[in-house]
Amino acid sequence: MSASSLRRLPEQSGEVIDRSQPLKFTWNGKTAVGYAGDTIASAIAAGGNRIMSRSMKYHRPRGLLTADFWDPNAFVQVDDEPNVRSGHRLLTAGINVGPQNVWPSLDYDIKSANQLVGRFLSPGFYYKTFIHPQKLWPAYEKVLAQFAPGGTVDYESEMAYFDKRYTHPDVVVAGGGPAGLAAATAAAEAGASVLLVEHEHHLGGHLRYGTDADRAIANGLEVAARAAGVEILVDSTVTGRYEDNWLGIVQRSHPIASERLIKARAKTLIVAAGLIERPYVFAGNDRPGVLLASAVRRLINMYAVKPGERAVVFTANESGDQTVEDLERAGVEIAGVVDARSGGNITGTEGSQKAISSVTLGNGSSIDADLLVTAVGWTAPTSLLNMSGDRPVYDPAAARFFPDRTPDNVLVTGGLAGDGSLDELIAHGSSTGSLAAGRAAAVRHRVQAATARAAAVSGPEPDMPSDDRVPLARAAHPELFRSTTHGIVDYSEDVGSKDLVSATKEGYDSVELLKRYTTATMGPAQGKLETVNTVAVLAEARGETIAEVGTTIWRPPYAPLTLGALAGRIFEPERVSSIHPWHVAQGAKPILAGQWIRPEHYGDPQAEVTNVRTNVGIIDVTPLGKLDLQGEDVPRLLNLLYTNKWSKLAVGSVRYGMMCAEDGVVMDDGVTGRLEENRWLMTTTSSGAGTVWEWAENWLQTAHPDWDVHITPVTTAYTSINVAGPKSRELLARLTDVDLGADAFEYMQVRTGTVAGVDDCIMWRIGFTGELSFELHVPAGYGLSVWETLMEQGADLGIAPFGLEAQRIMRLEKGHFIVGQDTDGLTKGPTTGLEALIKLDKDDFVGKPELAWSMGQGVGDGEAPELPVLVSVQMTDASIVPPEASQILAPNTTEILGRITSSRYSPTLNASIGLAQVPPALAQSGTVLTVLLTNGDRTTAIVQEHHSHVDPEGSRLRS
Amino acid sequence: MNVTFTSPVTASYSPSPDAALTLVDESAHAKVIVRAKAGTPARASLAQVFAGSRESAGVLIAGTRPDEWMLLGEPTAVAARVADLPMDGHVSVVDWTHGRAQFRLSGAVATSALEKVCGLDWSNDMMPNGAVTSGSVAKVTCDLIRNDVDGTPSYLILCDRSFGQYLFDALIDSGQEFGISASA
Repeated sequence: MSASSLRRLPEQSGEVIDRSQPLKFTWNGKTAVGYAGDTIASAIAAGGNRIMSRSMKYHRPRGLLTADFWDPNAFVQVDDEPNVRSGHRLLTAGINVGPQNVWPSLDYDIKSANQLVGRFLSPGFYYKTFIHPQKLWPAYEKVLAQFAPGGTVDYESEMAYFDKRYTHPDVVVAGGGPAGLAAATAAAEAGASVLLVEHEHHLGGHLRYGTDADRAIANGLEVAARAAGVEILVDSTVTGRYEDNWLGIVQRSHPIASERLIKARAKTLIVAAGLIERPYVFAGNDRPGVLLASAVRRLINMYAVKPGERAVVFTANESGDQTVEDLERAGVEIAGVVDARSGGNITGTEGSQKAISSVTLGNGSSIDADLLVTAVGWTAPTSLLNMSGDRPVYDPAAARFFPDRTPDNVLVTGGLAGDGSLDELIAHGSSTGSLAAGRAAAVRHRVQAATARAAAVSGPEPDMPSDDRVPLARAAHPELFRSTTHGIVDYSEDVGSKDLVSATKEGYDSVELLKRYTTATMGPAQGKLETVNTVAVLAEARGETIAEVGTTIWRPPYAPLTLGALAGRIFEPERVSSIHPWHVAQGAKPILAGQWIRPEHYGDPQAEVTNVRTNVGIIDVTPLGKLDLQGEDVPRLLNLLYTNKWSKLAVGSVRYGMMCAEDGVVMDDGVTGRLEENRWLMTTTSSGAGTVWEWAENWLQTAHPDWDVHITPVTTAYTSINVAGPKSRELLARLTDVDLGADAFEYMQVRTGTVAGVDDCIMWRIGFTGELSFELHVPAGYGLSVWETLMEQGADLGIAPFGLEAQRIMRLEKGHFIVGQDTDGLTKGPTTGLEALIKLDKDDFVGKPELAWSMGQGVGDGEAPELPVLVSVQMTDASIVPPEASQILAPNTTEILGRITSSRYSPTLNASIGLAQVPPALAQSGTVLTVLLTNGDRTTAIVQEHHSHVDPEGSRLRS
Repeated sequence: MNVTFTSPVTASYSPSPDAALTLVDESAHAKVIVRAKAGTPARASLAQVFAGSRESAGVLIAGTRPDEWMLLGEPTAVAARVADLPMDGHVSVVDWTHGRAQFRLSGAVATSALEKVCGLDWSNDMMPNGAVTSGSVAKVTCDLIRNDVDGTPSYLILCDRSFGQYLFDALIDSGQEFGISASA
């Protein structure tokens, strides 16, 4: 027998390992071998290893306790992945498995010296000890970090792939034990779509580690469920139940993803989570070699691992009795059976820290053994019921909690609901499944009838079926929580019953306080093993009953899941124009503007500016928001949304407008053109396209549903290209039959026609750069074609593309403000200097009352507020371009008076220019402003006469 | 002058014949939005209720909003249908051919792929053949039309053109585990 299979039993029926597939791995630096189907822990145990880990606080050696997902002693590091639950994770070939948080080794851990000072490490130790002096906390923190539990995070590791799925089954069954399987099958046979979620790798619950007959029944139930069309997920957990049965389900070991988060909207949820075996609290209960009965049965019957040589079994139920039979069959000598039902008890274990050598009984005698098995009762994992609003009630006769009242769309079956023979549990599951299907059908009928796209429903909505199930009985079970000695209650947090009693005496005597103060139940097991024992110890300390003490409320998640699973697949939508491939091919530097990927520049933005001012340039402005407006009431809508007037705009003309919200704050701006009598094209800022559309629709649908206006967003129906520069007319004239003459096509006019062979193009004479320019809106599928033709036809005119940065420089040279850049959430319309566009003589428009007040024309005697003023500035030192948002200070003080909203170096002027918001007193031309730079230095800027630094008369753009 | 239509999907893909799913770029198909006020003859002519669709003379007429229809198909067929529309009253027509990317995802497991990127209920009861809705697909707002082909589940997915390449790739990624063949 090799060292790696010291405790492997001969082949047996029911085992889940595949002996034809040996898997080599490394445990604690040594090569080991397990089989496909082994958990990492079972493979380690098969090699004769009893110590799996060290405890969190005292670094006591720990061995397997539950040998499943919840095992608090089986956390290991697997390659670069910390905190792996080896009791659950399946073994794979080649992995390197090691203990966590031990130094220098698992066998000899220096930090175990903590036990020597354990009496001082009582609950609240850190809070009490390190609170003073506060200035030393950073030093404390560094030292304490060395004692933090858990494995090692490798920040160089490749990020794992996580997936997400949404589903809407009629019925979700949480738990694939006999009752859950029967419920799923019955629901599916009744016509429901059913998703069954099983926490473990195998269906059948406790039957899976039972007898051959048990497994045969489990197999039969599984076959029936699959035949009925139940979708089955194993190694998956329903982690949370939220409003209206919105369920979070984590699917582990998915073929393509580390974990998949499933968001399920179930019409009915069946909770069949079974029961979780509870540890017993006594002296030495965390010594390696003390295992729960269910753990022993798993190891023997599923993984063919012999858990010890000579055993004492402390039993209070049938499960313990069956464990005795399993142990005998596995060749383990039964040194003693202590039956709690007839008054037997155990009080402690003796031995080294690494293994037990004897068990001390309640009568003071002891029995030599290397294995102690406890079977003292069950915890009802009522988490999903708590999340459904239920407050389970403790039944002392059965020594566990039971559901009280759940909503109609949450049903309970299996061990959570009660006890009984296997047939009774299966029958209860079946009737629960039928009931769930009936209730789901009623919900489905209602949802379907209320959803326009759904298939038509027939007949009236069925009544919600009443619950006529025969309830399961409750089997009597002795209350066994703590012996006459003290021991560990929370293995994950290293909290003992003595700690709980001590904390109770300190005044932390409510269960919620006790939990938070001691951290009992707050470890990775999330209370599944510890909650009831914690409550029992508290009840004992208070001299009350468990029912009187109450319990904590389980909240999501049912079982911990990774942050990666919660994040799921990362969706980051990107928008590109039809010209994007050309930009990429030209090596344009991309910049993310909202979701749009745009060219910031093509190498030299300053040169791009100069070329536009000298020759001709083209820029891709597709993200510019565009709305098609049709209907005879469009002018009324425009009059409502914009601050200026629109009724008399002629066909073929465009007009600039500013939109303010109800509070008078600038919301968006842009130009709108009248293409036909009842057809208009509105442009918005790139970032405001969606907002303006929704805003306009909101006004139409809520305030003016009688107006005949249709709004259709057409932002990307058109590729938008601005052709700018003194040679732009010459270039375009080569490509269109539209008369571009200065008299035929004036500034602020719009034309439609053919450009570069593309029909239905829209052209308007506007521009953001201050140059003669034409903005083309071309059907997007032909955008790239037109762009390439412009580049080709403009070669002899010195054409060059320009990016966002050059455009920003030129708009600043021209003094155009950008909403959101030069305005903020408090900037009212008059601040922008566009008072002339705020027509208070209009009947009404959005923001009018507030704007009237802001401009001193409000109702009543209130004085107009002193609003900031947007001014144009030039730095006195042209070599200094203050960062945007630089503060403007009162001279020789730190009083903040305003800020630079935009700044750039102007290659046209060889000057550092900007826009700034300042108080009216500083807005006069020639005022010298003090600007604070980020390095603490101060510089000065001079307020200019006009917003426009270049061509303030506008002769270029009107040429 | 040579004029070339450019699809929003510009990357190239190699179709795989045995895949369980197919994703086809149909962005070049004509798409026209018609909006018609209640009581207009156009509304009666379209004769399609909200959230449903039907084929008529080679044009798929989809009721995308209570007062809005999308006409989809080959350009000549759609143009003919639009020309036949009575325009009395408050009726508007906007050519959305260039503004929307259009993809067709087909296959028996198409809903499984969609479940990975969209939170809607894709069951036959809630999304029968012909159903029309809108929703978030991989965080992009889309119009969604079930339009089965020869009994095989098939879905038309339309989104803003600018998201086209992103969404096409997201759908391929979603379909990878089932086997997907993409062509553009």
